[in-house]
Amino acid sequence: MSESSQMTATAPLRHAPDRPGPAPGPARRRTRPRGPLHPATWAPTAFVVVLLGAGWSAVAAEHPYILPRLSDVGLTLVDRPEVFLANAWSTLSIALIGVACGAGIAFALALVMSEVPVVRRALMPLAVVLNVTPVVALAPGLVVAFGFGLAPKVIVTGIITFFPVLINVATGLRAVPEPVLHVFRTLHASRFEVLWRLRIPYGLPYTLAALRVVMPLSIVGAVVAEFVAAGSSGGLGTLIRTSASAARLDSVYAAIACLAAMGVLMLALVSALERRVLFWHESQRTHASRPRRSHIAQRTEEHPR
Amino acid sequence: MTHPSDDLGIRIRGLTKTYDGGDPDHPALESVDLDVGVRRFVSLIGPSGCGKSTLLRVIAGLEEHDAGEVSLFGSTPSALCAAKGVGLVPQTPALLPWQTVRRNIALPRRVNRRAGAGGEDPDELLRVVGLSDVAHRYPHELSGGQRQRVAIARAFGLRPRLLLMDEPFSALDEFTREALRLQLLGLWQRRATTVVFVTHSVREAVTLSDEVVVMSARPGRVHEVLPIDLPRPRDAGVVTGSRMHALEDRVRASLQSAWERGAAPDDLVPL
Repeated sequence: MSESSQMTATAPLRHAPDRPGPAPGPARRRTRPRGPLHPATWAPTAFVVVLLGAGWSAVAAEHPYILPRLSDVGLTLVDRPEVFLANAWSTLSIALIGVACGAGIAFALALVMSEVPVVRRALMPLAVVLNVTPVVALAPGLVVAFGFGLAPKVIVTGIITFFPVLINVATGLRAVPEPVLHVFRTLHASRFEVLWRLRIPYGLPYTLAALRVVMPLSIVGAVVAEFVAAGSSGGLGTLIRTSASAARLDSVYAAIACLAAMGVLMLALVSALERRVLFWHESQRTHASRPRRSHIAQRTEEHPR
Repeated sequence: MTHPSDDLGIRIRGLTKTYDGGDPDHPALESVDLDVGVRRFVSLIGPSGCGKSTLLRVIAGLEEHDAGEVSLFGSTPSALCAAKGVGLVPQTPALLPWQTVRRNIALPRRVNRRAGAGGEDPDELLRVVGLSDVAHRYPHELSGGQRQRVAIARAFGLRPRLLLMDEPFSALDEFTREALRLQLLGLWQRRATTVVFVTHSVREAVTLSDEVVVMSARPGRVHEVLPIDLPRPRDAGVVTGSRMHALEDRVRASLQSAWERGAAPDDLVPL
């Protein structure tokens, strides 16, 4: 029998009865995923926001030295947008540089720890000690050591973001299912291939979960650093401190609103990254009905036409 | 069953394996001798704990053994793996979930390129196993049967000299198992690879194999090697015939005897 005729011998199995189908059992009500514009999505939050706003306004009307009027906060933001934008950019820069350094070093260290157990045994206890030490307590010492410039602020932000990334990535790198490792071992894959093709991709959900935690934390780190080491570069932390001394509560809360907006923006960016990169992961199934291609899946090889 | 030494794909002599922390009086494998001829399809079957999966992992070079000799086509398991001569189909499909079906099938070509990036053309293989329609889908978009077909195609795509399969159909429904058995036989007959297939299913073992190796537990040993002299191809007429049923009964009787030999005294007390 020729090769081509032999190959068609199994062709009928193309329609083998193993296609996905509806699960047996009682009929279930069909549920559709709701979009962000659906009232069921935003109405509960809107209700709570309106309730809080009403409570805030009631307190502000009676005690303006405890809470500013929301309208005053809004007017402050509208009147001096350049002040808030410049300070927000300053804080954001510190947060982003800090998270890049902290998370980057933590990721690299987790890779080394996964490959060299003695490094893991040597450094993990120190990392735990660094994690349990209050970063606010470290900040004054860092200012003394590094001055009032960018360095101590970036270090404080880096320290606060370091540990969650280290722990999560170290865990994620070990999350490769054993059967997959066995397939790679029978192919005699090198340690680098196992790391690059298995451990890092399987660790991505853990890495991005860590980013989801540390991106907002980086803003906390930057503000704490600005409180302690107020330098000439400004920042929203510095603005809050100086405004509070001058009893400008409207400016204080306007700066806080900016910080909250920055946190929300960072979370939205991480969520978008997760949907893009983790389209294959269980955590994203409800978000993506159609799979998206990640940077890992290269379009050219998938569509060789 | 004996084979001329030139025709041996697998030669195992006196293989003993005890797990760390395991009972040294009851090793996972003890004094296992086994010969598998080149291009033969051999199934390992036996009661739980008889060491059939352990034996498969030792053959694959995934487990170290304590004593004895394992020779695959005249070389060690490690050397054959280094030459990309071993394909493995685990119990779960073990596909990379972020890669498409096509890229999963082409995976062995991209790993360990020092040993060559050859193997079967992925598109041709997809066509043969009837997965062309889902080539650009991701594993989570496939059924369990389709995922296992991808895993089998990936292993065959390597054109391995030895294919090791560890209960690959155990999680599937009977209807799908039947379809996949036929497809596996089709692939094996064309590519003439030596196959060691671990299973719990007597019917599966007899349908697929040239020989069925019945193992007993406590310690894990080869209890009996039963030749399956059914004609090939094993079409519907063969697998429903009386000879098939007689062979199934023969394997079942051997399994019963192996179970009684390996059962602990408490196991034999009637309920």
